[in-house]
Amino acid sequence: MTVTIRVEQLTKQFVLHNQGGVALPVFRDLKFEVAAGEMLVLHGRSGVGKSSLLRMLFGNYKPSAGHIFIQHLGEMVDIASTAPRTLLEIRRKSIGFVSQFLRVIPRVTAVDVVRDRMLARGVDARLATERAQVMLERLNLPSRLWKLAPSTFSGGEQQRVNIARSFVDPAPILLLDEPTASLDPANRDVVIQLIHETRQAGHTLVGVFHDQGVREAVATRTLDLTHSDRAAR
Amino acid sequence: MNNQLSAPEKELLRVEDVTRLYGERAGCLDVSLSLWPGEILGIVGESGSGKSTLLRCLAGIDPPTRGHIMFDSGKGLLDIYAVAEPDRRNMMRTAWGIVHQNPRDGLRMAISAGGNLAERLIDRGDRHYGRIREVARDWLQRVEIDPARMDDKPRAFSGGMQQRLQIARVLISEPRLVFMDEPTGGLDVSVQARLLDLLRVLVRDLGIAAIIVTHDLAVARLLTDRLLVMKEGRVVEHGLTDQVLDDPHHPYTQLLTSAVLAA
Repeated sequence: MTVTIRVEQLTKQFVLHNQGGVALPVFRDLKFEVAAGEMLVLHGRSGVGKSSLLRMLFGNYKPSAGHIFIQHLGEMVDIASTAPRTLLEIRRKSIGFVSQFLRVIPRVTAVDVVRDRMLARGVDARLATERAQVMLERLNLPSRLWKLAPSTFSGGEQQRVNIARSFVDPAPILLLDEPTASLDPANRDVVIQLIHETRQAGHTLVGVFHDQGVREAVATRTLDLTHSDRAAR
Repeated sequence: MNNQLSAPEKELLRVEDVTRLYGERAGCLDVSLSLWPGEILGIVGESGSGKSTLLRCLAGIDPPTRGHIMFDSGKGLLDIYAVAEPDRRNMMRTAWGIVHQNPRDGLRMAISAGGNLAERLIDRGDRHYGRIREVARDWLQRVEIDPARMDDKPRAFSGGMQQRLQIARVLISEPRLVFMDEPTGGLDVSVQARLLDLLRVLVRDLGIAAIIVTHDLAVARLLTDRLLVMKEGRVVEHGLTDQVLDDPHHPYTQLLTSAVLAA
């Protein structure tokens, strides 16, 4: 299979300048690859750096050293050194980040939130609306909420809007940060199904899941980050 | 630079080593940046950090002591302070716009709301009265002002309405670049949210580039693609907005991001 993520000599530490310059090491010389069609699950106890790694793959946290190559329009681009505007372009076209939290924009309706990415990619507005509604329906969001702004929704409803917007037209690479946390079993199963479908369609997925049942249901491979802050392996 | 994959389009604005001194004191020091079409750049920092000084230099209001500001108004990058005065004025009127913190600085308070909008179209060369009025009406609606208020003077409007009118006055001439100085500064929080969403949609739909000075990190996160952090006249950190806010490296940025309540 095609490798779509390649991480080399990745090192990360946080330096807290206003707390005596204390340095918190997270990884040293981390190295791995992920291919299209895989669902790589990051593993290790709380605080081991799973979410930090996921954020680095998205370019949200900056590496202290090393490389993160991401497949973008057929080429491997090192997001550790690329220009900010290239990274924005990569995020628009090649990589998506799904958290359990929706960043609510005032006054934008649920359907508009879900179809926004499709419209930005030039999908016909009517088709985008239809697909958005189908996805919201699948995630059991009552249709009376579709035309309302999610700022007034419950946490679980906002979370499902966020999942709908990420899976309705998924990026080639999807990073999942606890997308099923606090969902009820029925909706959790929908998300598991969406992950399977997306993976089988040839997308690359990397994720962190608190729930062991979900981990076992979705993982095609596991990367254990325990001790990755120590010597090179 | 590892920039091989960037889109083929050209820079809209290039700023090289801009310094503005006030006697011995530095307003801003050695600032360089580039802006591409459709991009929104935020400049954050506390009062006195030089962000407004920089904006005034960039916007053609106040020449820098040293350095160059080059803008592409369709004829390639030209130094805005080296072109003849009438050309610069013309560029300022048609190719870019400035949204001031205080709407009174950007509006003509003695003429009607419709007149404020029409003026920009006439500057641009529109002469057809019926069409001008129609475009003005459309813009009042886009910024959520009842077109029935077209003939009222701005001083009869609330602060939030005045600010929306100012934004319409700037955007109506379809500039390629907009400068905004604390655009939501003096407004209530609820009015701010509405205005921010409006700005976000307008800027995205029109594909214009913008430089926004703000001290509000939540505003920066919602509206901007990239961020510059200024302290004592210098840029201390820059990058993608979420990178700078979520993984700040400079001590000052760490202080700034840890000092605000979560937004």
